[in-house]
Amino acid sequence: MSANIASYPDPGTERRPWLPRWLASESPIPWLLPAAALMIVFGIYPLIYAITLSLYKKNAATRKMVFDPTHNWVKILGDDRVWNAIYNTFFYTGVALVFQLTLGMLIALLLDSDRKGYGVLRAMMTLPLVIPPAVTGMMFLLMLNGSFGVLSRGIIALGLLPTGFSILGTADTAMAGVLTAEIWQWTPFMVLIMLAGLRSLPKEPFEAAAIDGATAVQAFFKLTLPMMSKVIAIAVLIRGIDLFRAFDYVKVMTDSGPGTATETLTSYAGRIYFGNADFPYASTVALLTLIIVIVVSSTFMKLFRVKL
Amino acid sequence: MSFKDYDKKTFIADAARDFAARRITKREFMKKMGIAGVGLSAFSAGMLGSTRPFKGNLGLIGTEAMAQDATMTAWLKDVGSKFKGAKIRYTSEATPPTVVLDKIKKEFTDPTGIEVEVEIVPLEQVLAKATQDVQGQLGTYDLYYLDQSWVATFAQDTIDPMQYYKDKPDLAMPGFDWEDFSKPLVDGLAMYDGKMVGIPFDIPIMMLMYRKDILEKHGIAVPTTSEEFTAAIKAITEAEKANGMYGTGLQAKSGHYSLECDWTQMVWNAGGSIFGADKKFKGNDEAGIAGLQLYQEWLKYAPPESLNSTWDGQFQMMASGQCALVESWDEFFPGLDAADSKVQGLWMPAKPITGKPLRPISEVGFGEVPNRAHQGGSVLGLSKYSKNVDAAWIFMQWACSKDVMTRCTLIGGFAPMRLSSFTDPRVNEKAKVGPGTTRHLELVKWIIDNDMASEPDMPLWAGFSNNEIPVNLGKLLTGQDFGGDAKKCMDTIAAAIDAAVADAGL
Repeated sequence: MSANIASYPDPGTERRPWLPRWLASESPIPWLLPAAALMIVFGIYPLIYAITLSLYKKNAATRKMVFDPTHNWVKILGDDRVWNAIYNTFFYTGVALVFQLTLGMLIALLLDSDRKGYGVLRAMMTLPLVIPPAVTGMMFLLMLNGSFGVLSRGIIALGLLPTGFSILGTADTAMAGVLTAEIWQWTPFMVLIMLAGLRSLPKEPFEAAAIDGATAVQAFFKLTLPMMSKVIAIAVLIRGIDLFRAFDYVKVMTDSGPGTATETLTSYAGRIYFGNADFPYASTVALLTLIIVIVVSSTFMKLFRVKL
Repeated sequence: MSFKDYDKKTFIADAARDFAARRITKREFMKKMGIAGVGLSAFSAGMLGSTRPFKGNLGLIGTEAMAQDATMTAWLKDVGSKFKGAKIRYTSEATPPTVVLDKIKKEFTDPTGIEVEVEIVPLEQVLAKATQDVQGQLGTYDLYYLDQSWVATFAQDTIDPMQYYKDKPDLAMPGFDWEDFSKPLVDGLAMYDGKMVGIPFDIPIMMLMYRKDILEKHGIAVPTTSEEFTAAIKAITEAEKANGMYGTGLQAKSGHYSLECDWTQMVWNAGGSIFGADKKFKGNDEAGIAGLQLYQEWLKYAPPESLNSTWDGQFQMMASGQCALVESWDEFFPGLDAADSKVQGLWMPAKPITGKPLRPISEVGFGEVPNRAHQGGSVLGLSKYSKNVDAAWIFMQWACSKDVMTRCTLIGGFAPMRLSSFTDPRVNEKAKVGPGTTRHLELVKWIIDNDMASEPDMPLWAGFSNNEIPVNLGKLLTGQDFGGDAKKCMDTIAAAIDAAVADAGL
């Protein structure tokens, strides 16, 4: 038996005869090439192209592009709409994160049970996630219509708003309307992550706490939250990056309006790109978004010691 | 976000909006959702409402009355078969003639063997795609759907069709009859700097529409002036608001071109203009401010949802009985008279209202034409960069021929480009209440000939009309900025536009 084993070639050193030498070597390069190529084509090249574009000034009348590396970056600093978009983007991200995280945790705590029927409830949590955001946006656009929308009518019936009030057509309330759709669709994502975290927690500390007479609230704040901190941090990071690129709901529900009340950085970049056809300036706004995302997420990861 | 990603997202939104606005059936909507990869399309459809028919009369396709003339088929076979296997592409908004052409394109592709791909996308994407194409001189699109506000921008990128007709007698369609195109449309839509940029393709134009029953109920005469209109909508709002009806309905969605269209009409009617002869923005002069202030007044007598509505929303207000007097697009009419319409036969067309004396053309700039009826027409342009220019030219002639344009009018229920279509017996026969009605077209023709207004012809206009102007108007009307002060708003727009015009060296 031992002789037989000794006769097998060592998989780490023996070259398979049907493979070329470079592919059978221990070097990781051949195996990284496909991924690297994809990264270059779909990640690095567009980024370099966007950076290059941002260094040009486009004459909208003649369509000529002149190399002027500072033009768009100076323009961006003096553009009130960029500052407004930055504020809106942070506001949108912050509010959505707070609601999604809080509701996500609460619902996850409610669903964290092995009793009959809870499995179905947990599975139902995935339903909103499979609807394309643009369709969700349309649903809420109709439901928030001041004349016939079911949500609007409900709020009006409660006496909270005057008859016919247009939630999405009013600067003060439009952002709340868009956030409603965002929170409705993505809270289940938080629920699922929190549930996964909750169900992986060890039972022993909770049993010990119960023996010591800790209440459920004490157990939550002293045990659950600290033990879930990494899961929460990763969930916040993933959702935060996604929220920062908010586009679908804004585009479909308000088209950045009323005025610029819901204009985010990506929707502003889109408007410059698709409306004014000023590709260099749109690229500059997009790059600014990228820079902010990198800075904020890196800071967050350092602060909360998140390792991906 | 990639262009493709953007396409997909707006494709879904646009399809849903088309469905909500009766332009496509539930079947078509669900098909589109399926194409877009929407697993829960049935759920979405359920949320969005019941079946709603297309505004036009698609059922006519395939009927004997709509059959293509044999001589046309023979010509297509004779001239087009040389290009068999070629593929031509064009991208367009879901404008009625494009939708109809897409449905009947088999009549072209079968005899010629030329493949035709029609990409129907939202208007802003049409602009972005065309801009990318001409920027790189790519020739991805053989034909361009050009909104009237972009004609100047793309003038250098298209082939003068009338010249090409003369230059290529072997490809020229017999009896194409250039004189048959309405002259105001050719001048107002297709010409820029002495060149014909494309062939007039569609012409939505503003007219007054009123609910006969409501006006009679309150003893109000059909308004003919701005003052009468304002008084009428005020009276109706006061009397009917409790019943959910307002005097008017507006397409005042912030940041949308529809709001800009409403605004220009108000400025022109107040005796103002967008630009002066010195090429400076004039929306902030006395007349411009008066026009905008009147619009602010009208908003008080319109459903609040007007602030979040484009032309689709405005049509919905009309169709659902939320308003009684509207000055807007004539192409709403077939939808209002549709078989399942709750207001069938109740809306009537009338001449646009008049205001202050119009500013003379000599006092305005960039080819702007102030008048009573804003036109939102388009042209079909032949790309200079097309790789199949002759195949595309044959298609363009077919699409803009007398027979096809008349049939498109009958099927789509929109105003025709050709004079002969207006007098066609088939068109006149439909001039009665009912699906596919053409009862508004006689008046539309009068408006085109007498009252048609056109926005400026200048390369930056596409951006101004889709961004700077409607965004700032939205800030004013929704109270986000300017504290309700129309002058402040207009001064802000003037500063931005004058700086951009100077920067572009115009």
